[in-house]
Amino acid sequence: MAQHEEHTAYEYLRPSKKFPNVWCSGCGIGVVMSALIRAIDNIGLEKDNVALVSGIGCTGRMPVYMDFNTMHTTHGRALAFATGLKIARPELKVITIMGDGDALAIGGNHFIHSARRNIGITAIVVNNNIYGMTGGQYSPTTPIGGRATTAPYGNIEPPMPICELAQAAGASYVARSTVYHAAELERYIEQAIRKDGFGLVEAVSYCHTGYGRLNKLGTAVDMMRALKETSMAQAAAQKLAPEERENKIVRGVLHDVERVEYTARYQQLIDQVQQSIGGR
Amino acid sequence: MTVKLMQGNDAVGWGALAAGCRFYAGYPITPSTEVAEMLSRELPKVGGKFIQMEDEIASLAACIGASVGGLKSMTATSGPGFSLMQEHIGYAAMTEVPCVVVNVQRLGPSTGQPTSASQGDVMQARWGTHGDHPIIALCPTSVSQSFDLTVKAFNFSEKYRTPVILLLDEVIGHMREKFDMPDFDAIERVDRIATDVPPEWYKPYGDSLSDVPPMANFGDGYRYHITGLFHDPHGYPTQRLDEIDPWIKRVHRKIERNLHDIVLYEEDWDPTNKTVVVSYGASARSARHAVKLARQHRLKVGEITLLTIWPFAEEVIARMARTARRIIVPEMNLGQLALEVERVAGRSKVVRVNRANGEMVTPQEILDAIEGS
Amino acid sequence: MTDEQVTVEKTATPAAAPQAKKGPRGQVTIFANWCKGCGICVAFCPTGVFALDDTDHPVVVHPEKCTACHWCDTHCPDFAIVVKKIAP
Repeated sequence: MAQHEEHTAYEYLRPSKKFPNVWCSGCGIGVVMSALIRAIDNIGLEKDNVALVSGIGCTGRMPVYMDFNTMHTTHGRALAFATGLKIARPELKVITIMGDGDALAIGGNHFIHSARRNIGITAIVVNNNIYGMTGGQYSPTTPIGGRATTAPYGNIEPPMPICELAQAAGASYVARSTVYHAAELERYIEQAIRKDGFGLVEAVSYCHTGYGRLNKLGTAVDMMRALKETSMAQAAAQKLAPEERENKIVRGVLHDVERVEYTARYQQLIDQVQQSIGGR
Repeated sequence: MTVKLMQGNDAVGWGALAAGCRFYAGYPITPSTEVAEMLSRELPKVGGKFIQMEDEIASLAACIGASVGGLKSMTATSGPGFSLMQEHIGYAAMTEVPCVVVNVQRLGPSTGQPTSASQGDVMQARWGTHGDHPIIALCPTSVSQSFDLTVKAFNFSEKYRTPVILLLDEVIGHMREKFDMPDFDAIERVDRIATDVPPEWYKPYGDSLSDVPPMANFGDGYRYHITGLFHDPHGYPTQRLDEIDPWIKRVHRKIERNLHDIVLYEEDWDPTNKTVVVSYGASARSARHAVKLARQHRLKVGEITLLTIWPFAEEVIARMARTARRIIVPEMNLGQLALEVERVAGRSKVVRVNRANGEMVTPQEILDAIEGS
Repeated sequence: MTDEQVTVEKTATPAAAPQAKKGPRGQVTIFANWCKGCGICVAFCPTGVFALDDTDHPVVVHPEKCTACHWCDTHCPDFAIVVKKIAP
């Protein structure tokens, strides 16, 4: 349970930035931002040592609100920018904030290669199954049959398994939670940041303005409640038959192994090279 | 002083190290790959970092990220990769993050002829990325100049907080020449202007005496925001015209007010020359030979070699055009920089000598154009 | 705070009598100028501390019921709620 004297977040918000945030009333992205701040606070990271890198989309607008080293890059490329920053300053805790389309559609190539390298970046993907900023087009995670402004007859594409993809590509930590389970989400973000290697946290959220309206799923409150009702802990889910588990959101730490972190390995390489040439 | 028989691409790598480059991210592509190979070997020796990214888009993104982290960064590519990098060239221009992008041009369009030379990306170097943005593009004519202009590229990118394009072509990139490499400590290095205000006063894009705001690096205690959106002095997104207009004016002024420093060229002409050859890159080698032959034929011909392609060298071309009647512009494309010469000197004066099939424009072709007057 | 909470819809009538014995364990403050009236706090507060006013914005109607479980301030997308723990 989060311990609060005052609201922890205010210490981490940028006083010179206009609040409230730009997101629609009730959007889950604010909940992810809140969980991220508490995770950083729990670990006690120095603000100077935290860098947030985001792509383009609703999630892209998150870093600006927080008093860290923040970078709002281009659509899909947050991980590529973050890779350069992490290699240049390995001591920084680098965290990328991405949407489902941002990370898995246009950003898919960088997503799998960042995981493959197991570079020390915490990737938070806010998965609301839609391109929200541009008004509700279907994304790589839109459910089959789901309506969107570019899938007026229902989406026919199978959704991308974000967590399985990250694990298969080589990420050393993979976890999924939802914006309903804010305390759990906070815990997973904290664990991912504490890991040296590439950590993915999928934060399942919703877009009541885009996807919710087009599919008659109700208000933010209704979609928040739906997250509670359609998600279940991994242990419980494993007892279900596969077809029952089909449309459930399985929450939990799905993968957690130790693997050499990329920048540490490259520093070893530099040290070896410099020793072999007598250290210039 | 170490005399070496060196390849142009290698000289770019050594120039980068001499300039203080400590980060390279790239992707293999003919005819630029030697730059990556050389730096993957040399950077670790000096504590620098090399990474081969998954594509050219990621390569330039990583360079910008590393530059924000405080390392001088470079990538090298060729036409197809250069096309992929355009969005991030625009991002670097908008966020004013120093970085160097080397484009060893090959015959295009498309896959074209990877091992053949071309100067066909000149206009792309200027207008490849969307929107009105300033850019600096330099173009060497020899191996030693590849070294010198790489150093210049880094110094300009740091001094003016802008991406700088280094336009080689396959001839310059792959040929070998004797090269007297200077000692690195004799090389002038320019670093980005550091801020001298405490963090709470720091505005990443504002309040600077010059048009180039001081730049703090991520991790140095100056926590600020960088975005590709139009931004206010704090770096926060803005839609206000009274913040967008000043940005546009400043970012273009920082280049246009410093043409004396940025526009580099070599000139060998005088007002009595009725014919002058204007060229750049590998074509300048043919041009100089043609001018030498013409002078042996007792023809009074002038010659200007442009080292800075963008911004265009309007001043010297306009000054020359006051006296010259014929201006010959040889290019390994169907006429790109010639358009700029025509704009400044008048179309009637310009004689284009073009070749876009992968071969160099020959001295004879240029001599024919000179003698055709 | 567990997330498997019983959902309490808008409480139609104020509670019969505040449990004076235990008393409130959390003091809830809503920053109206940041609150966008999404209704999440009202819908999910386990003890029905909030209710929507006539402009569909949350108001603390039963401060005495707050158990300082922090569900609301960890789920407010706009950082518009602060729950301060107060000793019983």
